[in-house]
Amino acid sequence: MSNNYDAIIIGGGHNGLVAAATLANAGKRVLVLEKRDVIGGAAATEELFPGYQVDTGVADAALFQDEIVQKLDLRRHGLTFHESSALLFAPQPDGRALTIWRDQPRTVAEIARFSERDAAQWPAFKQQVEQMTGLLRGMLLLTPPDLAGLHGGDLMAWGPLALRLRRLGGDDMMELMRVLPMATQAYLDEWFESDALKGALGGSAVIGTALGPRSAGTNLMFLYQNLGGLLNHRFVNGGIGRLSGALAAAAQARGAVIRTGAGVDKVLIEGDMEPTAVGVRLDSGEEIRAALVLSNADPRRTLFGLVGPTYLEPEVMNHVRNIIYRGTTARLNLVLSGLPQFVGQTDEAQLAGRIRVSPSLDYLERAYDASKYGRYSDHPYLEIFIPTVHDRTLSVNGDHIMTVTAQYAPYTLQEGDWEGQREAYTEVIMATLEAAAPGIRSLVRHSRAFMPPDLECIYGLTEGSIYHGQMGLDQMLVMRPIPEWSRYETPIRNLYLCGAGSHPGGGVTGAPGYNAARAALG
Amino acid sequence: MSKNNDYDAIVIGGGHNGLVAAAYLARAGKRTLVLEKRHLVGGASVTEEIFPGFKFTVFSYVVSLFRPEIIRDLNLPAHGLTILPLESTLTPTYDGRDYLYRDGDHYQTLRNIARFSQRDADAYDEYARYMYFMAKAVRYILGIIPPDPTTFNPRDMMGMVDMARHFLDLPQDQLYVLAKLMTMSAADFVEQWFESEPLKATLSASGIIGTFLGPRSPGTAYVLLHHYMGEIDGAYRAWGFHKGGTGGLAETLARAARAQGAEIRCNAGVARVNVRNGRTVGVVLENGDEINAPLVFSSLDPKQTFLKLVEPTALPDDLVNAVRRFQTVGSSGKVNLALDRAPELACRPGVGRHLAGAISMSPTLDYIERAYDDAKYGNFSKEPYIDVIIPSMIDPDMAPPGKHVMSCFVQYAPYKLADGEWTDAKREAFGDAVVDVLERAFPDIRSLILHRQVLTPVDIERIAGITEGNIFHGELNLSQLFFLRPAAGHAKYRTPIKGYYQCGSGTHPGGGIMGAPGRLGALEALKDGA
Repeated sequence: MSNNYDAIIIGGGHNGLVAAATLANAGKRVLVLEKRDVIGGAAATEELFPGYQVDTGVADAALFQDEIVQKLDLRRHGLTFHESSALLFAPQPDGRALTIWRDQPRTVAEIARFSERDAAQWPAFKQQVEQMTGLLRGMLLLTPPDLAGLHGGDLMAWGPLALRLRRLGGDDMMELMRVLPMATQAYLDEWFESDALKGALGGSAVIGTALGPRSAGTNLMFLYQNLGGLLNHRFVNGGIGRLSGALAAAAQARGAVIRTGAGVDKVLIEGDMEPTAVGVRLDSGEEIRAALVLSNADPRRTLFGLVGPTYLEPEVMNHVRNIIYRGTTARLNLVLSGLPQFVGQTDEAQLAGRIRVSPSLDYLERAYDASKYGRYSDHPYLEIFIPTVHDRTLSVNGDHIMTVTAQYAPYTLQEGDWEGQREAYTEVIMATLEAAAPGIRSLVRHSRAFMPPDLECIYGLTEGSIYHGQMGLDQMLVMRPIPEWSRYETPIRNLYLCGAGSHPGGGVTGAPGYNAARAALG
Repeated sequence: MSKNNDYDAIVIGGGHNGLVAAAYLARAGKRTLVLEKRHLVGGASVTEEIFPGFKFTVFSYVVSLFRPEIIRDLNLPAHGLTILPLESTLTPTYDGRDYLYRDGDHYQTLRNIARFSQRDADAYDEYARYMYFMAKAVRYILGIIPPDPTTFNPRDMMGMVDMARHFLDLPQDQLYVLAKLMTMSAADFVEQWFESEPLKATLSASGIIGTFLGPRSPGTAYVLLHHYMGEIDGAYRAWGFHKGGTGGLAETLARAARAQGAEIRCNAGVARVNVRNGRTVGVVLENGDEINAPLVFSSLDPKQTFLKLVEPTALPDDLVNAVRRFQTVGSSGKVNLALDRAPELACRPGVGRHLAGAISMSPTLDYIERAYDDAKYGNFSKEPYIDVIIPSMIDPDMAPPGKHVMSCFVQYAPYKLADGEWTDAKREAFGDAVVDVLERAFPDIRSLILHRQVLTPVDIERIAGITEGNIFHGELNLSQLFFLRPAAGHAKYRTPIKGYYQCGSGTHPGGGIMGAPGRLGALEALKDGA
C-alpha cells in the first residue's frame, strides 16, 4: 500500500481537475484517479470517429470562472477561447429563423422582424437579466452558509454580496426576489409576445432538467445558464477537452499525478466513532492512502457507491435517496459531409454559435409533457453546435461535426427500455433535424447516439443527470446536494464532494471543484 | 349629501374578510359600514337555495384555516359558529371498484393504507408528524405583518430578525423539510414518503387546489402546506363544515360585526373610491350615491382594488405595473348537484358515515397531472380532479328529507379557453365531464340528479366578483407571497392613497377562509391611529 499523497481526487472531470490543480497549488501532493482513458469527464473532446474530434459532453465554456483561469494560470497551459458573432440561431416552423447576435443593434433589428414591441423591449430585458446575473455570479465561488447554525464566519464571506444586494436599492432587490422563483414562462410573458423569441430564450431555463417552462423555479435556471451574459457562449479552441487538458497541465506542473484507467471501487474508511476517509481502493484492488479524499462523482454515487450505507445515518440515507436526478437529455453526434442549410438561414455565420430548435414555449412544454409520463418527446427540443464552423482543425475532409442534445428523453421509460428505443428516438431526432435543416440526412457520414443510460454508464452520471442532480429551487444552495451537507463536506471526515452535485451546480463553471478544494484546505 | 363623514370606515365587499375587518373596526369604536354588491353577504362564502329546498354552499364549501384568534376576539361561538367535523377522506380507484379510506380511526386507517402499500402505512405517521410541525412552524407567519427586507427601517429589520429567529430555532430536520416545502412540487414532496397512487395523489391534490399548476410543478408543496395550516379548536389539519354551509359562517361573522355596531348594506355595489388630495374621502355607489368616510377598506382582489376602484393615475407606476402582472388566472370550477336520494359508491355500497367526509377523485398522480395538461393549453380537464362532499350527510338541513346536495370542487377549468369564450354549451360540457367522472365512482349518480349548477371561473368572476375567478385572489406562489403580496412595497395592507386599505385574500397571508387579511388589514389601519 502506498501513501505518497496528501489528497486523492476521485474522477478527472473538469471539477476534479480544478480541485486537483487548486490543491497542488497549495503545495499538496495530489493524485487524480480517472476511470476512463480520457480526462475531462463530460468536458472532453474525443475522437469518436477516426479523424474527428468531438466534444462528447458539454461544448460551451461561457460559465467557466475567470478567477480560476487566472489563479491556475490556464492560459499559460494553452487555454484560449473563441467567441462567435452569432449567439443563437433558432429556425422556425414557418420557414423563418431568429438570430441573436453579439451585436445588440443587429439583434434588435432581427427581433423586429418578429415583433416591433419585443425589439423595443430587448435592451431593457438584457439589462435586467445581466444586472441580476451579475449579482448571482458573485455566489458561485462562495461556500453556502450553514442554514441550521449560522456562523459569523460563514456570513462574513457573503457580506460583500449582501452589501451589493442592498446597494441595488429596494426595488431592484425585491424584483430579484420576485423573479428568481418564477416560472420562466411567466417571466418571459411579462416581457415579450413573440413565440419565436420566447421559445428561443426558454430553452436555457429547462436544459438538463425534468421541468417545463411553466414550472416554478425554472427562472433561476434561466438566470444560471445566462451567468456568463445573456445567451453568451464561449468555445474553447481545439474543443472543450483543451480546457480539461489545461487544467491537467496546471495540476501536473505543480506535481499532481493523473492516472487514467483507474476506477475507484471504495473509499477506505476507518474509525467507528468518527468515520474518516483514509484513502481509496481501486477496481483493481490496489489501495492508496491519503489524508484527504475528494470525490468528483455525483453525491449518490459517492455516498451510496463509494462509501456505502454502513457509515451513513438513516437521515442522510433518506436525503441522498431523495435527491432528484432525472436525466432528460440524449445526445446525437454527427459527422456531416457539408454544412447543412437550415430554414431561414441566409449566412453561414448564423451557425457559428448555438442553434436551438425550440420555436415556442408551448413547444417546450409539450416536449416536457411526454417525459412526465415516461415517454420521450415526439418533437424534442434540440440544442445544436457545429464547432467546425469556426474550428476546421476538429475534422478532416472539410467535414463538419454536429452535436445535438435532445430533450426530453426520460431516464426511465414507461414502456420498454432504451436499448429497444434507441433507434426510434434517434429517428425522432433526425426527423426533427430534417424539418429544421431539410436535406441534412443526405449529409450524414457518421452518427452515434447516446441515451440517458449511456450517459450514466460512460460518465457515471446517476440517471444520466448532466448536472449531478436536478437544478431546481429545492436543490440549490443550502439544499445542494443534501440538507446539512451543502458545504462540500460529507458525513465522512476528510471526504469532500467536489462535483456539480454541490453548490453552485452543473455546467462547466469549475466552481464546485475550486470551492471544495478551498474547503478541504480549511 | 353631507359634507361631514357619514361613517368612520367603509368596507367594500361583504365577503368573509370584509366582515372580519368590519367587526374589528367596529370593535375599536369606528362607525363602520360594509357595502356588499349582492343581495347577501359572504362573497365566495355563501349558501344559496338555488333550487327550492336544496341549499348549495355555492363556492367555498369547507372550513379549516379560519384563525382561532378571530374566533376568540369576536366571540364567534356566541354568534352561531358551528363547525361540524369532516372526518374522513375516501379515494376511489380509477375504475371505481376499490378505494382508500382514511378517517379518525388511526389504526384502521393504517390498515387501509397497508392494503395499497405496507411501506406507506409505515411512513404515514412520520409524514403526519412532519406536517403537524411544519404547519405549526409556518402558522407563525399568519399572524404577522410581512416585514420589508429591503429597508433599514428599525421595525422592518426587527421583524426580519424575529422571523429569522423563529425559523432558525426550529430543529434542524424540520428546518430542512420546511425549505423543501417552500420550493418543491407536491408530488416530489409526498413521494419522499409514499409509493401508492391513491395516497400520493390525494395528498398532493391539496397542493393544486386553487392554483394553476399540476402536482409535479415546483411550488405546489407550499400550497399543500397552506392547506395544512388550518386548525379547528386547536386540532391541526382538521377540516370542517360550517352548519348551513360557508354562508352560515358569513352570517355568523355578519352577526358578530353587527353586534359590535357595524352596519351592513347589501345590494350596494361600489363604483369607485373617492380620492381627494391623495387621501380617500369615501365611495360612490353604482347607483350614484356618495358615502363619506375617512377610511375605506377594499376586501376585493388587488386588480379591482387598484385598477378599478381608483384611477390608476392616482397610483405610482410600479404598483400599477405590479398589479397588472399579478397572476390571477382562475383554474377551478364548481358543480353543485341536487340529488333525489343518497348516492352510493360502487366500491362501498350503502349509505353511511363514509359519505359524510370528503370523496376525492384523485386516483393517481398522473391522473391529476393530465387534468392539468389539458388546462395549460386552454381546455377544461376531460377527466378532472374533483373534491366531493355531500353536505346534507353532515348537516341534514341542507336538503329536504331523504334528498341530498352534493358539492363538487373541480379542477381544472381555465378562465381562458383556447377556443374562445366560455359559452353555455361549453359550461354544460364541462358539467358533463364532471358527471362522467362521478359516474365511475357513483354508478347511479346520473339518475339521481334533480338539478345541476355548473360554475366556471367566469361565473365565479361574475357572481362572486373575483377577477378571473381566482379563488385565492391571486396565485399562491413564491413570487406572490408574503412581502410580495400583492406587490413589493405594498404588502402591509396600506396603499399609496391615505386612508385606503386592503383587506382581501390578495394580501398576506392569502386565500382560503382564513380571515387573517381582514383582521390584519383592520389592525394595521387602527395602528396608524386612523
